[in-house]
Amino acid sequence: MRRSSARGNLGGMPTVVTTSAIDHFREVVGSERVLTEHIERLLYAKDGSMNQGDCGVAVLCETTHEVAACMRIAAEHDLAVVPRGSGTSLAGSAIPLDGSVVISVARMNRVLSIDSETPCAWVEPGVLNLDLTTAVSHLGLHYAPDPSSQAACSIGGNVATNAGGPHCLASGVTSQHILGLEIVLPDGEILTIGGPAPDPAGYDLRGFIVGGEGTLGIVTKVCVKLTRNPPVVRTMLADFSSLTAAGKAVRDIIAEGVIPAAMEMMDSTMTRAVEAFVHAGLPTESAAVLLVELDGTAAHVSEHTHVVERICRESGANHIRVAADEAERALLWKARKNAFGACARIAPNYYLHDCVVPRTRLVEVLSAIEEIAARHDLVIMNVFHAGDGNLHPLISFDRRDDAQVTRVLAAGNDIITVCMNAGGTLSGEHGIGMEKRDFMPLQFGIADLDAQARCREAFDPEGRMNPRKVLPAGSKCGDLAFPHEHLPEGTWI
Amino acid sequence: MDLAPDTAPNRAALCADLANASARGQHMRIVGGGSGGRRGGVSHTESDVISTRTFDRIISHEPADLVATVEAGVGVAEFQAALARHGQTWIQAPTNPHSTVGGVLARAESGLRRLRYGAIRDSVLQVVAITGDGRLIQAGGKTVKGVAGYDIPRLMVGAYGTLGVIVEVTLKLWPTPPSSQWFTAEGSTHTLTQRGEQIRRETHQPGAIITSADRLWVELIGPSADLVPPAGMHAGDPPPALTGVGRMDVGVGPAQLPGLAAALARRGYAFQAQLGVGTCTVIFDDSTQLNEIRQFAIDAGGHATIGDAPDELRSDPWGPPPAGMTLMQRLKTACDPARILNHGQFIGDLEGAR
Repeated sequence: MRRSSARGNLGGMPTVVTTSAIDHFREVVGSERVLTEHIERLLYAKDGSMNQGDCGVAVLCETTHEVAACMRIAAEHDLAVVPRGSGTSLAGSAIPLDGSVVISVARMNRVLSIDSETPCAWVEPGVLNLDLTTAVSHLGLHYAPDPSSQAACSIGGNVATNAGGPHCLASGVTSQHILGLEIVLPDGEILTIGGPAPDPAGYDLRGFIVGGEGTLGIVTKVCVKLTRNPPVVRTMLADFSSLTAAGKAVRDIIAEGVIPAAMEMMDSTMTRAVEAFVHAGLPTESAAVLLVELDGTAAHVSEHTHVVERICRESGANHIRVAADEAERALLWKARKNAFGACARIAPNYYLHDCVVPRTRLVEVLSAIEEIAARHDLVIMNVFHAGDGNLHPLISFDRRDDAQVTRVLAAGNDIITVCMNAGGTLSGEHGIGMEKRDFMPLQFGIADLDAQARCREAFDPEGRMNPRKVLPAGSKCGDLAFPHEHLPEGTWI
Repeated sequence: MDLAPDTAPNRAALCADLANASARGQHMRIVGGGSGGRRGGVSHTESDVISTRTFDRIISHEPADLVATVEAGVGVAEFQAALARHGQTWIQAPTNPHSTVGGVLARAESGLRRLRYGAIRDSVLQVVAITGDGRLIQAGGKTVKGVAGYDIPRLMVGAYGTLGVIVEVTLKLWPTPPSSQWFTAEGSTHTLTQRGEQIRRETHQPGAIITSADRLWVELIGPSADLVPPAGMHAGDPPPALTGVGRMDVGVGPAQLPGLAAALARRGYAFQAQLGVGTCTVIFDDSTQLNEIRQFAIDAGGHATIGDAPDELRSDPWGPPPAGMTLMQRLKTACDPARILNHGQFIGDLEGAR
């Protein structure tokens, strides 16, 4: 039976969680794990983004069968469901809208099995990214994708957003590190897809589910590929007198055929904020700081170190600092990964973007972002994955100031437009969620969005999974209302 | 290099053809270089042929960004030659001389260096395809990283053309490695798999470790200082292509591969197992052998599909249906509602329910 016309997984209708539904949830997980108090629902209506949603009830599941039972209850009562891991989404992917049911898998946090031969591990979705690496480090292994939020974000959330991280430059994003998964579909069916055996017959459902932002089902187990630790790691910090010079170094390093394990950049505002917070001895007088990490065999690292040093010097680096030991390396990474937290020193709130641009266009896009900051009288800081062109312009502001918020949104629009005009992509690793949803027509035409909506509907014919996320209303050809007035300028229509 | 050709007429014509064929229920068979001919199910219905060879342009290659956009009908060899002029390569691709870019992606065929560089589908950034009912769609993005929208490119790669005709892809490239060398050694299956597994644990990112019943091959990639022969091995050629009546492509967990290799060797099969990857190519002569190999794979928690065989041996090329058949049927409906593309070639149940 298809009821997509009633709700439409892109439009959404208010969900009313009846006492009968709540009683059924309580029968499955017990009263203490069904959160109905106003303050509890307020908490579960937020994530790491700027948005505030409306949570009808939050159910904290501890097993796959609980998730499946709750999904069946939601299906019987025609309730919209939003899966939730650690709730660190920066795009609003974990925000419930219109009274949706939040199903949290944060308590499903066990590492189920570790296979050191493959090497891989089966884990529950609530396992924190960093905890996974900690759990396998004694075997000389790690889990490669390392978002800056890795101490807080969950593997389930990483799968939902196809998360990235600094070390995805050489090793690839989450999708390349997920071998299999168990998913509970919207009707409560439990499916195990893939595993350590490569290339099963049929369509790559695993690849499609990764990055699905909780709109396809709830992932309840994940088979992650583990990576052997490299024998040699060298971390270098180069500082430059201009963003342009640092951007040129990035471009030339890649063009020379060197793919570092990670290549990250910070501008001066960000560097000063981070230094005041972390005390890593960062060059606060410089316009840009480039953090480059090389790994591999001694010969490989040595050869590439020479190339990186030469290109940095040719591009006008003031100093090149090489981490002397693991402690200094850890300190430099602490500086990088705490950048967002350090922003609280500038202003209470920030609005973070995630566009990717071709690496050859980095320099011009960074200049354009500087102009946007000046034009809107805002502080925009940059800390980003320079090696793959994944920008993170961070607009700091005080949300109590309405005029400032208006300027922040306008500047955000301008940043996205500049990136898309440079041949960019809307999101590199945070996902589309709510925040980038209405910008999707800048990247995709009507037929493209329609194809995505049809594929999504294959998983969720009734449109109850994380409604109103990822695709703008009207994506499915035949949906009546196509909200032209809400679309940003330049949209394909 | 940016040729910016006008590719629209070819695409518009194919859109119209497919929309028309869908309306009439006319089956359409997609052919690239013709190198994948003896694979998949044997179709018993009349099909018109779509050749992707008209999509024959390398649209752009941006060496400084390690990204290229290429049409599906371009030969892999021709494409690699163009990249090589800039010191770059599509490193996950196989080296079959007749394959097209589209054919390799439709079959999700990965090359020998998968252990180090990953599967072919990991190289695909954007796909432009025409659905069975004639809609021209693009999915993914041209940048080296991107999570905007659903990952339709991953669905299209390995779908054997049953979701749409791939007409253009944007691929992530790698610098050509400075140097590489194959090493080889002979011995017993058990000794060789043990030795191969040891090299996998102790060597940082070997390109490939492949074993047959009586020979081990290891490819090392990197600066010349790293190309030291592993103990007991000497420089040699890469493994030769296996030939025989039929070929099976087996996939098991890498931890189960040594056991599978032992079982195959005991029964006298010719095979090449990619240690650490979990894939294994096995030669077979008849349906009895096919069933035995498939059972070995299933016993090891994996699967076995027919990679190449004459028609009479391809009555069940895919084996037991994979998990998620209902989802796959619905995805098929979403992309090829009249079920006209490569009818009968992919997992059979796809063409059942609508």
